[in-house]
Amino acid sequence: MNRKKDIYILACLFTVTFFSCKHGEGEYHSLYDKIEAESKVYHDTTMTSETFLNDIKTIKITEGEHTFLIPERKGQIKSYACIECHTEPLDKLKSKDIKKAHWDINMAHADISTMNCATCHNGNDMNNLNTLTGIKVDFNSSYKLCAQCHSSQFEDWKGGAHGKRIGGWVAPRASFTCVNCHNPHSPSFETRWPSRFNTEQIEESHEGLAH
Amino acid sequence: MSDNKKWYSLNLGFNGNKEPKKSCGCGKTSGGCGDHNNDMSEDAFFEAAVDASIGDEVRKDGFEQVFDIKMDRRSAFKKLTASLLIGAGAVSTSCSVVAGDDSKEKAQIDWEEQFKGNYKLMTDKEKKGTVERLMRSYELRTGKNISMTSENAKEDVLFGYAFNISKCQGYMDCVNACIEENNQDRNSQMQYIRIHEMKDGNGFKFDEADDNYYHEVPAEGHFYMGTQCFHCDNPPCVEVCPVQATWREDDGLVVIDYDWCVGCRYCMAACPYDGRRFNWSKPEVPEAEINKNQHYLGNRMRKKGVMEKCTFCVQRSRKGQNPACVEACPTGARIFGNLLDPNSTIRWVLENKKVFRLKEDLGTEPKFWYFMD
Repeated sequence: MNRKKDIYILACLFTVTFFSCKHGEGEYHSLYDKIEAESKVYHDTTMTSETFLNDIKTIKITEGEHTFLIPERKGQIKSYACIECHTEPLDKLKSKDIKKAHWDINMAHADISTMNCATCHNGNDMNNLNTLTGIKVDFNSSYKLCAQCHSSQFEDWKGGAHGKRIGGWVAPRASFTCVNCHNPHSPSFETRWPSRFNTEQIEESHEGLAH
Repeated sequence: MSDNKKWYSLNLGFNGNKEPKKSCGCGKTSGGCGDHNNDMSEDAFFEAAVDASIGDEVRKDGFEQVFDIKMDRRSAFKKLTASLLIGAGAVSTSCSVVAGDDSKEKAQIDWEEQFKGNYKLMTDKEKKGTVERLMRSYELRTGKNISMTSENAKEDVLFGYAFNISKCQGYMDCVNACIEENNQDRNSQMQYIRIHEMKDGNGFKFDEADDNYYHEVPAEGHFYMGTQCFHCDNPPCVEVCPVQATWREDDGLVVIDYDWCVGCRYCMAACPYDGRRFNWSKPEVPEAEINKNQHYLGNRMRKKGVMEKCTFCVQRSRKGQNPACVEACPTGARIFGNLLDPNSTIRWVLENKKVFRLKEDLGTEPKFWYFMD
């Protein structure tokens, strides 16, 4: 009889402790548990980011397991198509009596032993770019040239950790491509003045809170 | 003894030396004031002076200051009549045939806004009601239209944010965009985002960081990182709010009902990340600069004495747009998205980069991660 009672009490205790661990529906031990559990039943939202892209023309690309939109490039290059001027071989164009072009291009991208114009441009096919092995690359896919050396940046860009996302956070994803931020001839950013003064100090001295 | 305490303490009569002084201050009860004057300390003199001028009010709290006052019948009636007149005034404006329709409507709106409930407890219909009242009231006051929504959290959405420390260059474009988007007070130059300039090799030292830099950026040997409200999943600010004017929405945004906030600033003290801001004065934004695309919980105009903070631009993010800071960042250091979407970029960052959060050991579970290239 006594043993039965003991077992009964133990069972009660067990159920009480078992259920008291969870304080309610939807509670998880950590944020990561919550994200993992709740994204299992994820349904795509009905919103679309297409309306936020305004008049940015995009093209769809697929790299590895990632498919997303990047801005179309050729329409943004002022003097495309290149063969409108590049009708003759470069040596002839370089002669003195022809009006100079591309004077504003300043090559500051790796050193001359690594890169020169021909690393990306093909003198015989100015309308397209070419890879290190001479394979033709469209101007719209110029990221493929950058990816030849900058492989870690390329990985991050594909996943979304590198490169500014445009439109909104909802699908479809649209991201800037390399040349939207970096000038391919001089890819590093220049220093500049911040667009405003940081005002924490002002705010706090007004309040008399400065410590 | 501390006589000019700022807080209210219950007087149960155990404090022996308070009583005689009080009666002394009144000057009418036992003994002349002159008798005591000689042995009065500075503190005691101060108390006596306060007593003489504002009497019991210093020791009374809240409504006791108003109700618990001895007065004769004549002044009681006087005060009652005065308050009746004020009430009648409000009623008559709304019922009068003389007053214009506009002022009637305004009085009606003010009345309903005054006695509305907490936004958190409102039904969708009530939310719509208050938003419409606020839009109408703005139109009546300024003759201009704003668009305000009360859009609820979408299902299957949990907002998260990632910040690339290697990318931020300290340009402050995000701060500018934030101020314009969220109608922050221009007078006090309120900013939700802080950009900290830190020395390379020193790690995160917020006490040594320069938050007020003004020179060309990025400065040699420094890195930049931004802080703002991290929209904790277990937010301490929500716990401490005595009136539940702040809460966590289903999509993870920690929001404030500016009309329910009493301005006690407990949340400001409770936040371990300096994420909350207080309106010390009436927020002012030039009419031409007001962002008229508003959300009740987001960038609608605030008033003096209430808290506000980053809402991940609720008026934008619930429509699918990126917050203003993300859109403005020229370096792509800011990444925003849905944590529940396994294919989102924010999830890729969390799963593939070495991410960390600030003060993770507090268990606040911020939904704002930092990472490096």
